[in-house]
Amino acid sequence: MIAAIEASAVSKRFGATWALHQCSIRLPAGKVIGLVGPNGAGKTTFLHLAAGLARPTEGEVKVLGRSPEQQLLLLDRVGFVAQETPLYPSFTVAAMLRFGRALNRRWDQRGAEARLNALGIGLNRRVGQLSGGQRAQVALAVALGKRPEMLLLDEPVARLDPLARREFLQGLAEAAAGDGMSVVLSSHLVADLERVCDYLVILAGGQFQASGEIDELLAAHHLLVGPRLADGQQPPGVEVVRAHHTDRQSSFWVRGPLPYLPAGWRREPLALEELVIAYLAAPEAGALPAPQLQEALT
Amino acid sequence: MIWTTWRQHRFEALWAALLAGLLMTLTWFVGSQLQAAACSGPGHSVCLADDLPGRVAQFIVGLNLYNYGLAVLPGLAGAFIGAPLVAREVENGTHRLAWTQGVTRLRWFTVKLVLVAIPLLLAAAAAGLLEVWLLNVASARANHWAFFDQQAPLTAAATLFALALGVAWGAVIGRSIPAMAATLVSFVVVRIALAETVRPLYQPALAYTARDMSNFNNPPTAYPDAWWLDQPSYYDSAGRVLSNGGFKPAGSVAYAIQHYQPAERFWAFQSIESALLAALALAILGFAVYWVTRRIS
Repeated sequence: MIAAIEASAVSKRFGATWALHQCSIRLPAGKVIGLVGPNGAGKTTFLHLAAGLARPTEGEVKVLGRSPEQQLLLLDRVGFVAQETPLYPSFTVAAMLRFGRALNRRWDQRGAEARLNALGIGLNRRVGQLSGGQRAQVALAVALGKRPEMLLLDEPVARLDPLARREFLQGLAEAAAGDGMSVVLSSHLVADLERVCDYLVILAGGQFQASGEIDELLAAHHLLVGPRLADGQQPPGVEVVRAHHTDRQSSFWVRGPLPYLPAGWRREPLALEELVIAYLAAPEAGALPAPQLQEALT
Repeated sequence: MIWTTWRQHRFEALWAALLAGLLMTLTWFVGSQLQAAACSGPGHSVCLADDLPGRVAQFIVGLNLYNYGLAVLPGLAGAFIGAPLVAREVENGTHRLAWTQGVTRLRWFTVKLVLVAIPLLLAAAAAGLLEVWLLNVASARANHWAFFDQQAPLTAAATLFALALGVAWGAVIGRSIPAMAATLVSFVVVRIALAETVRPLYQPALAYTARDMSNFNNPPTAYPDAWWLDQPSYYDSAGRVLSNGGFKPAGSVAYAIQHYQPAERFWAFQSIESALLAALALAILGFAVYWVTRRIS
């Protein structure tokens, strides 16, 4: 099966800083994939590479099985909603739809209008007068209008209030459920992604920390709680992502199969947010080359 | 793409058209007033009729737009129309919207540029022609060749050059206001450098040696076929330079040498400088294409 995005040893440098460094990953098609990481982790850079807006300094990114040299083929098939959902403020909503129709070979005018009608966004309104949530919805309608095979969204809900956030993600989930479209959306909030995604990629410090189906990720990680260990010590036979010590006990987030529980230790339920935080809190300690992790998962 | 460009820039287009229309109407008005007064003197402002339209025309002439206007307007067009073309998209982030639709950046850039450039170049050429018409009306005796920078070909080429500068600065800087400033400054610097240092090199000036000093105070009548005159140099009978400054020195001047460009070279020079500016413009646009397609994300 063709991957939605396949990155091999991709690096992107801006001046002296590496936004992404030696990143390899294979994201399956037909899923709603969440890209989570703190600000500055390289999420935007990765999405720009996938959308064909930027080129990697090193390595290669393949999108829907094609390299970015086949730009036009990809532009037709990839929808992109950039950070802060830019639109032309002087345009009316109808003009934004006409913009999408004029610049794309494939265009679903009826679908776009129905989507905005259902949200109560009048076509005659000026984009500059819309609320943040409505603007994001118009940007989504324009991106969906070309019926993309893959939709990329860069922090689409970061600036929205909780209600608009919920509405937007709901609309996105409904659109994704329809026709096997691949979706990649980034956020620095796990809660947003958990609501719509079935696959998660954790990115920190310009490197992928972990990726996989959310339930598989949860199944492959464990939280062990036991007696207080000295700093630097760990329970035997486990691969530690993050350690945390209080006065009386130690907690270890560990990765991989756990055939037996070390004596004196107990397993506690692991929430997705905690797992992500474990990776983000100690990117160096937790980082393993992504392919190795994927082998462990499959 | 055509509709999108129009929808995005229709207000700028309207303003530019209104401004160009106003300038051309004023020019035509002044010209018709001059014609009505049937001026024939060398100073075209002195013989306008002393009625209201005549005084209005006099006021407009007094603004001196016709000497400097056409040398400056291309730079303004480059700054106000060229610089925001890419820069405004980048500063609003809308380039990420436009460049992820089903149109390549090259096509997006080319269509936008051509749609903006064509009406602008037509307006520039029309303004140049109108200016020359005004000069002809103003006085049959005026030295039209003094208005080298205001002719239609050079005005159009300078406009294209300014537009290219504006677009390229806008792409590289990515913000409209600084790009406008950079456009104006670089446009003025290049045009002055061309006029002052490169233009004399198109063809070496001819030298005229005048031996009859009694008749030397009025160069234009002495060289009716010259469109450009250097300051004369004065020599004594031993061939020593007495003065280079143009002023006739006191004492025994034996002869004077004056360099000049004959009138028949006017259009050759005009073509060379226009071609030079157009070639520069194309090179800069090539760079802008590279920057837009490769360097912005």
